[in-house]
Amino acid sequence: MLAYIARRVLATIPVMLIVAFFVFSLLYLAPGDPAAVIAGDQATPQDVERIRASLGLDRPFVVRFTEWLWRIVQGDLGVSIFTNLPVSHMIAQRIEPTTSLMLITIVLAICIAVPMGVVAAWKAGSWIDRAVMAFAVFGFSVPVFVTGYVLAYIFALQLDWLPVQGYTPLSEGFWPFLENLILPAIALGSIYIALIARITRATMLEVLAQDYIRTAKAKGLGSRGILFLHALKNAAVPISTVIGIGIALLIGGAVVTESVFAIPGLGRLTVDAILRRDYPVIQGVVLLFSFVYVLVNLAIDLLYTVFDPRIRY
Amino acid sequence: MTETVLNKTQTAASKAGHTGPLLQVEDLRTHFRTIDGTVRAVDGVSFHIAGGETLAVVGESGCGKSVTSMSILRLIQEPPGKITGRILFQGTNLLDLSEKEMRAIRGNAISMIFQEPMTSLNPVLTVGRQIGETLRLHQGMDEKQAEARAVEMLDLVHIPEAKRRVREYPHQLSGGMRQRVMIAMALACNPQLLIADEPTTALDVTIQAQILDLMRELKSRLGSAILLVTHDLGVVAEMAERIVVMYAGRKVEEATARDLFARPRHPYTQGLLGAVPRLGSSLEAKGRSRLSEIPGIVPNLKKPIIGCAFAGRCPAVTDICRSVAPAVETKAPGHFAACHHAPREAVAA
Repeated sequence: MLAYIARRVLATIPVMLIVAFFVFSLLYLAPGDPAAVIAGDQATPQDVERIRASLGLDRPFVVRFTEWLWRIVQGDLGVSIFTNLPVSHMIAQRIEPTTSLMLITIVLAICIAVPMGVVAAWKAGSWIDRAVMAFAVFGFSVPVFVTGYVLAYIFALQLDWLPVQGYTPLSEGFWPFLENLILPAIALGSIYIALIARITRATMLEVLAQDYIRTAKAKGLGSRGILFLHALKNAAVPISTVIGIGIALLIGGAVVTESVFAIPGLGRLTVDAILRRDYPVIQGVVLLFSFVYVLVNLAIDLLYTVFDPRIRY
Repeated sequence: MTETVLNKTQTAASKAGHTGPLLQVEDLRTHFRTIDGTVRAVDGVSFHIAGGETLAVVGESGCGKSVTSMSILRLIQEPPGKITGRILFQGTNLLDLSEKEMRAIRGNAISMIFQEPMTSLNPVLTVGRQIGETLRLHQGMDEKQAEARAVEMLDLVHIPEAKRRVREYPHQLSGGMRQRVMIAMALACNPQLLIADEPTTALDVTIQAQILDLMRELKSRLGSAILLVTHDLGVVAEMAERIVVMYAGRKVEEATARDLFARPRHPYTQGLLGAVPRLGSSLEAKGRSRLSEIPGIVPNLKKPIIGCAFAGRCPAVTDICRSVAPAVETKAPGHFAACHHAPREAVAA
């Protein structure tokens, strides 16, 4: 088991290297010149050239990539072109809102989606099942920013139950903190909920047709015991896989959600950095997201052993 | 809540003055509504089992024997299924009980073992947990008591190192062991009736013999009645006291095991017995060396069957067989068959 974890952690290194390469080269190939942006409208070509040289943008790709990588390995994500602050410092400032938003979304989504999928499978073909499936299609097809604005319009502007936008740190109390994140979490989570509910339903349908479910019925178990112990534990592996993979949806969605709800998180930082072509910041944030994604999925692979004793590493 | 239901069914079960058979099935019909018509999987079957008795229900695949056994515990999904008739267990009609009352009977007063030991145990729960579950559910044991009892049950079904095995998962056990676990699970609450649906079909022949031995041993120790559903006449001969032969959802013959094997009355039963290979039979006289077979196939259960269900395959068929369904009649004392032509013994007045 420990050897397996070590191997998996080591295996993340090449993955991260590939991610790093893409992050670096995509921005290198992207149109627009940061030197020109920094220099401003009034600058002469000589000014731009000078700024470019001072940023090291005139040197060959491979040299810059290797140097950059070496610094990253040492934990130095570089300095923002725009603010001159260390990227790690800027990320640290913005990480709390994003982490909070993601965690609340994940918890909320699992608590809503899994029971929804279980009930839909149990009552397959009934109106509940159809309602869940309709919701799932809806959740998939409506983009986050639309859901976000609609939710804000109804629950914040019309009903005045929750704040329209903004963020309150956890240190200022749990309720003000939560209040600001409920609507963003629902907006961000709707696709995620739809995804998890669908997989839960499909997997549960398959599990409920198994012989051991018939055995459980023959033992006199009620539907709750059958569904949530005998069936769900068997369905847990595919469901948790999708929960892990779906984190990618959340990362993408967080960027949009944070813009809609004016949350000062990593998503906003990313958008701002892209608009300013602030390469070091973009690179730092994307690397961080990829790293988190890889780690979460490793954790879920390890979680399989808890659900299914037949899986041993 | 469960407590009261339990008490209720237990009093119902031990109802004073109930003197009839342990289980009496009357005119059981289990039909399934499908897109292209109603399938009459079981169509008017009656039989009874006395306390401590072993009754075998035999027939070929699709004759409705498994559906019959599932119907008794009401494990048929309704809808599309529909069970009618009467299933009297110690005088209580199981078809009148609520789902909750039925749950208190399943795994407790009546329990069931299935054909596929490989897939009938939950792969992600320990064996001890699965045996203990019934005890916690029906006997109100706590986790510790249930586990201790699960160890005893594993001992009872001769699984070595029960203390260790109780914490193992089904995939760590062989097929024979898993069927032993199924039996332990089924017998944990001392049921009055054990329904065994093809309990040995999926096992190797040597393991089959062991499981049959075990079932016989436990039966004599615990006194449960057994409803044995099988297509294996060898198993029937070893286990059963009485036999019900089913064909196309109907009962065609019923007799004691001895009578049925010695003097089968229904042409279908005769065909079944003729299709069983015997060791050494090829050494006998010429002409006995080939296994006989029953020509034709089972009728389509989606259409109502007019006349005798076996008419299309019967060697002794006449016109009346194709138009009038034969009733189950007494052909000899304790020997019933549904055939117009089966000989009837003169019953002494």
